[in-house]
Amino acid sequence: MKIKRKNRNIFDIADSGSMSDLAFLLIIFFIVIAIFNINKGFILGLPQKNSTKIVNIKDIIKINIKENGDIFYNKEKVTIDDIEKNIKEDLDNNPNLTVLLKIEENVKYQNVVNIIEIVRKLNVENFSFSIMKDGE
Amino acid sequence: MKIERHKRKIITIPISSMSDIAFLLLIFIMLISLINYKKVIKIDYPEANYKEVTQADSNLEIWIDMNGTVYYKGNIVDLKSLENIIVDTVVKKPDTRIHIIADKNTPYKNVDKVVEILKLLQHRVVSFVVKGD
Repeated sequence: MKIKRKNRNIFDIADSGSMSDLAFLLIIFFIVIAIFNINKGFILGLPQKNSTKIVNIKDIIKINIKENGDIFYNKEKVTIDDIEKNIKEDLDNNPNLTVLLKIEENVKYQNVVNIIEIVRKLNVENFSFSIMKDGE
Repeated sequence: MKIERHKRKIITIPISSMSDIAFLLLIFIMLISLINYKKVIKIDYPEANYKEVTQADSNLEIWIDMNGTVYYKGNIVDLKSLENIIVDTVVKKPDTRIHIIADKNTPYKNVDKVVEILKLLQHRVVSFVVKGD
């Protein structure tokens, strides 16, 4: 006996029209998530503990940050805007400049980041930062 | 014998509103990801306009809050445990980039504690994470 098959109408349940919307939203989602996870900041090289490097004393610039936020540029009190100007001038005169940043223990981290930002922006190659021990 | 087939009702699912649902889901997930565990540990990122992308293929994030408490993956760790974690991670993946995410108001000595560990372990590079425009 021959069973007659009925021709069914084909229905596309997952209508491809809205699938593109879904895909588009997914793409946006992944882009947003990817942007959230990227860390930005400063890459700093660390010296070996207790290692020393001999530098010409004329090339050294000492920047001290005090607990109250005061900044001293070669023992001279300056503002954060002056720092950039001063380093730039000194860097033009002496490309081998070494910036030595001494930070008091209780200085707010933001103040340290401000100086590091300037140093990185000006592409100072020799940069050293360390905490100021009592009596220094 | 002829078997009679029942005529089935064809059920259609209205899918025109699927994109609306997807959009709502997207907003929901975005909001949830904003309230992620980084925010639970209250850290005010330091700010800087000039910055570089420091993200590497393999990353290890150390968080330091305002009071100097050190966190790794959302859990409080002491400095000894942190040292072990860093050693384990770096042994497995030597190219691991270490990020220090510290509160902008924390005294620098708290950051220095972690930096000293890295120096001791002869880890050459560290990333100070900031946020900005």
